[in-house]
Amino acid sequence: MAVTLEVVGVGKDFLIPVIDSVSFTVEAGEFVCLLGPNGCGKTTLLRIVGGLEPPTRGRVLLGGEPVAGRGRHTRKVGVVFQEDRLLPWMTLRENVELVLLPLGVDARTRRATAERYLRLAGLAGFEGYYPARVSGGMRQRAAIARALAIEPDLLLMDEPFGALDAQNRRIMQAEVRRIWHETGRTIVFVTHAIEEAVAIGTALIMLSARPSRIRAEVRNDGRLARATLVDDLNALIMEEVERQQGASSTS
Amino acid sequence: MNARRWASRLHLPTLGVALVIVAAWLALSWRYGAYVLPSPAAVARGFADIVASGEIWRHTAASLGRIVVGFGGAVVVALLAGLAAFLSRTARGVIHDFVSVLNSTSVFVWIVISIIWFGLSNWAPIFTTFMITLPVIASNIVEGVENVDRRLLEMGDVYRLAGRQKFTAIVVPSTLPYLLAGMKVGFGLALKVSVVAEIFGVTSGIGYVMNYSREILATQMVFVWALVMILVMTATDKLVFDAISRRLDRWR
Repeated sequence: MAVTLEVVGVGKDFLIPVIDSVSFTVEAGEFVCLLGPNGCGKTTLLRIVGGLEPPTRGRVLLGGEPVAGRGRHTRKVGVVFQEDRLLPWMTLRENVELVLLPLGVDARTRRATAERYLRLAGLAGFEGYYPARVSGGMRQRAAIARALAIEPDLLLMDEPFGALDAQNRRIMQAEVRRIWHETGRTIVFVTHAIEEAVAIGTALIMLSARPSRIRAEVRNDGRLARATLVDDLNALIMEEVERQQGASSTS
Repeated sequence: MNARRWASRLHLPTLGVALVIVAAWLALSWRYGAYVLPSPAAVARGFADIVASGEIWRHTAASLGRIVVGFGGAVVVALLAGLAAFLSRTARGVIHDFVSVLNSTSVFVWIVISIIWFGLSNWAPIFTTFMITLPVIASNIVEGVENVDRRLLEMGDVYRLAGRQKFTAIVVPSTLPYLLAGMKVGFGLALKVSVVAEIFGVTSGIGYVMNYSREILATQMVFVWALVMILVMTATDKLVFDAISRRLDRWR
């Protein structure tokens, strides 16, 4: 069931305006990367999209249904945070099974689903391990497996590889791309690393400095050479970073 | 395993210091006499006597029985307080205030009140134990509840876990170490307090027999029963609390 994400005129103020007005649409199956200088509100925007925080202005619709507010949500959203947020007292398998509880499936199905997605994320054989016993990269894989296990309409990832070393980061980028191919999920991925975004996303949205608007929206379907794209985006982001530094030094 | 690790495993440094203390004890008791400071030999003999006669079990069981009731009651009430603290910020504030008040109330106040209310009966030590250990365990549980990782709770919200699921999967395991720490301290307190309360009006138990020994000038028996208390506390620590702690810490 293909579901579209619509972000309409979303703005957010925390004492000062962080997000001015952002509107975009993500079609089912797309892999969108949200880029922008630090502090521009990318994480806030992602949290609003995920229904974790209410916008000050505008609204977000997933499959036509608002993501925020009380009341029944029929759409499923999976989130991979910067920290793995696994429960340390449960094994990797139990952590994934936990989020299947609200879906009302029986125990055997939960276990089978958990194992399937852990295997998909490259953790075959480690299902019975506790998070403290595996590496940071593996914990993030488990967090990804957990997000996928609910078979979400939308998968949100907030700089999930920030804490990993460069090699692991590269490996995980390739893994996420592979998982996206195999599952066809709609993904919105926040990062401040241009190279990462260009390597994995099908569409790139760059936010401006705070208070943010959309600075650039680019399709990454191979028409533009990667290197060119990276250079162009780097130039843009440097402008925005300087604008943000300038703004904060005069304010 | 090398020599140093064996030494520390067997608490050899502590035993070394203990031997020095026993030697000093021997010297001082020889100097000051059996009423003020009985010799280590007299204490050892007294201990052997109560083991042989079975008295050690009779009085220890009596004290432990009362402690378990008072302490157990405190754990139950503290758990309810923890649940209330989790559900309501107002409740948390109220509990904090009551815990402060209880913490600053002396043991003797509870002993006197329980004698007035319950007369000279088993209830005096039980009630006293309950009132003294309750604030300790409750404040530990509440601290545990306050220290639950909010990010984990948010993850629970993202995945639409029900309140009860968040409670059992996140809050409870997160709070258990705090509860256990509170129970360990609380039990030690319960032992000390119960024994004092037993001076007033009961006819069995470690406190009773210690006081009785004092009255008949058998000072060495006071030391013997103090030793029994130390053994009870050590046994409970190692066999109960440390065992539970190891089980809970499997995942670390």
